[in-house]
Amino acid sequence: MKKPRVAFFDFACCEGCQLQVANMGEAVLDIIGLIDVVEWREVMSEKWNGKLDVAIVEGSITDPHAVERIKQIRKRSKIVVALGSCATIGGVNGMKNNYVLDEIRQYVYGNSYQFFPTEATKAVHQVVKVDYFVNGCPVYIPELVAVLKAVLHGIPYDVPDYPVCVECKLNENVCMYDRKVACLGPVTRAGCNSWCINNGNICYGCRGMVSNPNEKGAQDVIAKYNISMDLIVNKMNMYNKCREIG
Amino acid sequence: MQYAILRKERFNDFIARLSEIQKLVAPVSKGYNNFAFEEVTTGDEIALKYIPTILPAKKFFLPRRETLLEFNDAKGANAEASVEYEPVTLFGLHTCDLSGIQCLNMVFSERPKDYNYITRKNKIILIGLECNEYCDEYASCHLVNASFPSGGYDLFFTDLGDYYVVHVNTPAGDEIIDKTESFEKAEVYQMNELKNLRDHKRKIFINEVPIDRSRIPELFDLSFSARVWKELEERCLACGNCTNVCPTCYCFDIIDEIGLNMKQGVRYRVWDSCQLEPFAKVAGGINFRKERSARQRHRYYRKFSYPVERFSRFFCTGCGRCTRTCMAGISLKETLNELIKESEDRVWRRWL
Repeated sequence: MKKPRVAFFDFACCEGCQLQVANMGEAVLDIIGLIDVVEWREVMSEKWNGKLDVAIVEGSITDPHAVERIKQIRKRSKIVVALGSCATIGGVNGMKNNYVLDEIRQYVYGNSYQFFPTEATKAVHQVVKVDYFVNGCPVYIPELVAVLKAVLHGIPYDVPDYPVCVECKLNENVCMYDRKVACLGPVTRAGCNSWCINNGNICYGCRGMVSNPNEKGAQDVIAKYNISMDLIVNKMNMYNKCREIG
Repeated sequence: MQYAILRKERFNDFIARLSEIQKLVAPVSKGYNNFAFEEVTTGDEIALKYIPTILPAKKFFLPRRETLLEFNDAKGANAEASVEYEPVTLFGLHTCDLSGIQCLNMVFSERPKDYNYITRKNKIILIGLECNEYCDEYASCHLVNASFPSGGYDLFFTDLGDYYVVHVNTPAGDEIIDKTESFEKAEVYQMNELKNLRDHKRKIFINEVPIDRSRIPELFDLSFSARVWKELEERCLACGNCTNVCPTCYCFDIIDEIGLNMKQGVRYRVWDSCQLEPFAKVAGGINFRKERSARQRHRYYRKFSYPVERFSRFFCTGCGRCTRTCMAGISLKETLNELIKESEDRVWRRWL
């Protein structure tokens, strides 16, 4: 069997998720043995303009140039994998959508702002079809490996559609709400093995929201713990602003 | 020797010796009034006064992830079943948790027997610890007949001030008494003190919900379309905490995972929960318990109705974990109270 031709691409992001791939340790050697990497700007200088079996895309789509480029990548790739929060849910780049575009453009680029066209930040699937999602900021290596195996097998990977609380409870962490700290675990999709909470941090919601959250119930809980709605909305919007685009 | 005495000054010595025999697990404090069963080697680490742990002792009987099968398709199909187990002594289980393990034993001993579970269970020694009073207001152990010891342990400790009186229930328990060399023979006055404690307990442990135990199945027969389920629809966040912390919830999922060489792999099982969105989702994307109310109702029926028909026992042990852990404040006692209130209305209406 011919090795699948794979390329990594980046859009608006910190490239930290690709760094996670490079930092994977021994597993990266096994994976490299199974695939033919033809382009990966972060670790090699070769470029590839031909057909691809798998395009792994990090970053969100934030300007007309990026829209054109991701459409081209989609056209020449059999499979598109969105890598990391920026690609899967828009991530922190979505915070731009809190502002009027022209104002924020002026704020960033100053007087020559009209030379820098911009658009509302979008996740990759809000522009082109995405076949696999690897959530997280950064991606969680064991999940990334599971997704890559699914890609290579040609089988679907289902991102868990239940909250981080499930994994957190199984890890027997003391609930952040018992510590009187607001945490986004109850509405955020699991799959990270409650990575942050295991290490004493709260959940920031970097994996996006569960598909059918109980908004009324969540509001009641927030009220019960005496947390201001603004605080929760701000926390949510740090990673999840782009969900409003639909 | 059916009863033995352990003087408190010898407790730490006993624990140290016990931990030398095989891995010893006991409740330890995690802060913020949270506790967990973890490995200990000294008596000081153990939280003797504790409310039910975050996860019940089921995590040792049914690990959250367990390999069932290893396969290799390098040279034709080749699969080998595997059983993961480790000899372990669990110290300090309250009667609610012992009751939970009795429930799991019944489920996994039914035919076809679950040999993974049974093999593991046979390697676990259980040492109970009596609750002289209620742990907190969430417990409802008396309602489900789990406030007093009724077997399911090798040794059972009752704190009587300066000493523990210990019921020796099995040959494995006898062996521990011999090996640790920390025990004395129980005297008549000590047995009388145990009896006095139990008499006192009978006064303070009372039905936490105003219903006769034997009427609970009937109550559930009447309550399938009760209003309270609809109310839970609005409150439940479907986080699955209530089932994950339940000592008798045993639902699991089975997953095949292939290694990076694309040839070897394992089949493993993990805990699943009827409260989660994908649990009852089937091919075609149809979900036959899409509403959170239906899922919550299912949970209650799996505790108070279905197992009564099948195993003649409640699968609620009254530990109160589901109530304590629920962020939305869904309370088992409150739900039962609502059901009782509503069924009374219905009975009245029938008479009018």
